[in-house]
Amino acid sequence: MSYASQVSRLPIAARWIGTLVALFMITVPWSGTDSSAQPENSEPPLRVPSNVAWTKETLTIISSGDAFQGLLLARRCNHCHGEEGFSSVPAFPNLAGEDRLSFWKQMQDFRSGKRASPVMQGIAEGFSARAAADLAAYYAMLPTASDPQDNRAFPQPMQDSSRASMAIRLIVFGDGQRGIPPCQSCHGPVSYVKGAPPLATQNGAYLERQLENFSDGNRTNDINVRMRSIARQLTVEEKTAVSEYYGAGYGPGATSR
Amino acid sequence: MKIKIKKIGFVAALTLFGVALLSTRYYMVDLPVWHFFGGGEGPDPLTLQLHGEFVESNLGAAEGPAGSLTVRMIAQQFVFVPQCIMVPAGVPITFRITSADVVHRLRFLGTNYGLEAVPGVVTEANFTFAKAGEFKIPCNEFCGAGHYAMRGQMHVVPRDQFASLLPGERRTCELR
Repeated sequence: MSYASQVSRLPIAARWIGTLVALFMITVPWSGTDSSAQPENSEPPLRVPSNVAWTKETLTIISSGDAFQGLLLARRCNHCHGEEGFSSVPAFPNLAGEDRLSFWKQMQDFRSGKRASPVMQGIAEGFSARAAADLAAYYAMLPTASDPQDNRAFPQPMQDSSRASMAIRLIVFGDGQRGIPPCQSCHGPVSYVKGAPPLATQNGAYLERQLENFSDGNRTNDINVRMRSIARQLTVEEKTAVSEYYGAGYGPGATSR
Repeated sequence: MKIKIKKIGFVAALTLFGVALLSTRYYMVDLPVWHFFGGGEGPDPLTLQLHGEFVESNLGAAEGPAGSLTVRMIAQQFVFVPQCIMVPAGVPITFRITSADVVHRLRFLGTNYGLEAVPGVVTEANFTFAKAGEFKIPCNEFCGAGHYAMRGQMHVVPRDQFASLLPGERRTCELR
């Protein structure tokens, strides 16, 4: 092998490296032009619906909840929400079988005042994020089927059958013309979305009041205006029909209790 | 000898390209190449509501620099936010759209326009609507169980009926 060929090897290798570097450099001008650069606008005051975001850290906190600790803590909730998670007062929500994520989020929102409630704000301030996760684990574990001692009959009869059909239509099909998705596509059992509680065993009066609050703007802690834009589209009669239907225990996914 | 070195270089470049392709999983993703070199500059779909340009108080039609009009929207399972947008006819409008969960696609009925909403990416486009009227914006990409009922609305009003926006105002036509 001559000295000359030894020299010529280097430029070839260098040429390949050079080509690779050049190819990489071509992409550099594009790297700065991601369209996320924000055009300048006069900014309206920032409004944050809830301090909770479904990041990995949030999910870690919630999933580390201990149901036994929750059982001990739940003595503070029993008076209103029932020993078995079924409240005797229709205006208070049932917590048995409540989704962990939505329970924890509501507790944080009560604490931070993002969801206004004179009663619950004071109570939620007494629970740390960890304690709320414990409670969430406990209530998620409670069965939605009744204990044999429960003398309430479910499902209850609905007085108005036209309302029932209206409710079924909205729960199963929604109303595409108005952009109302079916309830069951987020609240189950067809599919679930993070932060959407299952409604099949919820109290009707409570549901109706929440729907009213969403559409009036009295409750604004739903992430990205999701529930508010749906509730605004519903008529008063439709809100009543849906909540009565769920409250009577007919909602899809309900076990007889 | 020269040929062999060329071959080695070729194989090395091909391997490097293959490894880069596999490690970025670009073959699985419907995104432009430069998105990956941009290094995640787009908004985080999980924290849209906390900060950035897609907070709920910043959605809707907004006045941009030099009187241009920008409409910001979020697509999410299974509603568009704002649910109803209002824009003037015959004026170029900049749409800035992102998704909070999965890929959605907006189809502006009555026009040839469509837009893809991808989580983590801001899709920007300039549209001009010639006709005034009310149009539906159905979701055109299967996004889940409620996909078929996911439908936004757009009110295109004549230019002279669209009152100019106040500073900081965001205009929608949602029911209040």
